[in-house]
Amino acid sequence: MRFTILLSLFLAFIAPFSASAQDNADKLLGIWESGNGKARVKVEKISNKYYGKIVWLREPNDPVTKQPKMDKNNPDESLRATPLKGYRMLKDFVYKNNEWTDGTIYDPESGSTYNCVIKMKDENTLEIRGYVGVKALGRTDTWKRLETKK
Amino acid sequence: MGNKSSFLWAIFALFCPFVLLSQTPQDTIAPATEEEDYSQYDNLGFADQGAKRYCSPKIFGLSPQRFVSVAWDMQLAHDARFSTIGAYDEGDNPPVAETGRVRSAGGLRLGANIPVVSRNSILWQMGANFANTAYDIRDIQRVTSDNNSVATALNERGLRTAGLNTTVFKPLGEHQFLLFQGSADLSGDYTFSDMQSLRYLRYSAAAIWGKRPHDRKQWGVGIARTYRVGEMNYIPVILFNWTSVNRKWGSEVLFPARAHMRYTVNPRQLLLAGYELEGQSYRLNTLSPNERSLEIRRGEMRARVEYQRHLFHFVWLSVQGGWRYNWSYNADYLEDGREFFRGFTGNQKYAMLNELTNPLYFNVGIHLVSP
Repeated sequence: MRFTILLSLFLAFIAPFSASAQDNADKLLGIWESGNGKARVKVEKISNKYYGKIVWLREPNDPVTKQPKMDKNNPDESLRATPLKGYRMLKDFVYKNNEWTDGTIYDPESGSTYNCVIKMKDENTLEIRGYVGVKALGRTDTWKRLETKK
Repeated sequence: MGNKSSFLWAIFALFCPFVLLSQTPQDTIAPATEEEDYSQYDNLGFADQGAKRYCSPKIFGLSPQRFVSVAWDMQLAHDARFSTIGAYDEGDNPPVAETGRVRSAGGLRLGANIPVVSRNSILWQMGANFANTAYDIRDIQRVTSDNNSVATALNERGLRTAGLNTTVFKPLGEHQFLLFQGSADLSGDYTFSDMQSLRYLRYSAAAIWGKRPHDRKQWGVGIARTYRVGEMNYIPVILFNWTSVNRKWGSEVLFPARAHMRYTVNPRQLLLAGYELEGQSYRLNTLSPNERSLEIRRGEMRARVEYQRHLFHFVWLSVQGGWRYNWSYNADYLEDGREFFRGFTGNQKYAMLNELTNPLYFNVGIHLVSP
């Protein structure tokens, strides 16, 4: 009986903190624009991991074929006919220690995938660092949150 | 408190986190499906009203930026002729002190360029470079009895340059930017066991204002203090990076330092053709009496073709071959090591007027490239 009460109190005590951490994690959800303004990415949560897919391109059509852009630079030839709109360029991020980590970012312009860590500078600003092996060898892009124009 | 209430407490505490977990923020935009209407993302604005867009330092199709480079550079056989040390105007025909056959000249080149601050609103990189030129000069013919032998000094000690550099890219909005580059280089016949004083550091810098009208073009104009042709000079510079609509062709130009046309075989293979000016002022310690610094104003133009290809992960290979044209191998005496400005019109005399014939050269490098 005493153990049950103690366990209940303990769980009741930690519950708000767990919920708070989860709320913070979900702040990543939404629509974001990359630093160069070329793409908008929608971040979603699937099975406790975060994914971001391209939902808008400043240049949606291939300037040569005039058709919607495909992932033509993908090293995997079987994926080169995949439309860029809808492509998940952020994959497998988990929230740890106030950042989203363990994920990758894909650059459709080069067909390269990089390790990536995401930090939230403020609720409308992300710092997305793609890196090669170690974080020092990387580049940070600042993404801005978008919302429907009022 | 009865058993029932304890049980309820436990149930509440156990499930409370999961209840809260399930309360993800409401997304006003429909979940992604294959038939998702992407037009709903057209009419969006920044949530932060003060947010600004900035132009990127890159355009489509540029050859990859290098974080770390290891390369081997080699000039093939050519002839060298060194004058006696004196005071000569350019165009004079000074007495020849020695001649020789340079069997090879070259060596290891290292480079690193690491971002210190990398934000949309500013990019700041720091870099370091090292280049060694080992000479193998044979058949040295002494024409005068003078004891100064540049050929012997080059053979025994070679030339090397090591330096630090920095680059700052500051976008002024979506279509304009400023670019600053600066470097400090120590060049001479020093070795790590017989280091050259830092008072002989030579400084270069460039400042460019530019425009980036779209994702396939950026251009700029500016001014540079440069040692690209051996002597310090102040020159105007023009930046012009461009990529064709089909992304196959392009240019990478920082005139007059370098200019290349680019052909993209595919995103993992590039061909470049053009030229680069290379140069530094190399102090010959062994021939610098007292406080006078004898410095070889080594400047060369390299007309070349370069093939770059992705090897694995973020590692690229470059193979470069071409013709090395000797722009200058003359020498100056610098009193107390103090640099002076001759420019295009100065009439200061040279301490030596030397000549090198123009050989083929090649350069092979491995590079860790930037995201």
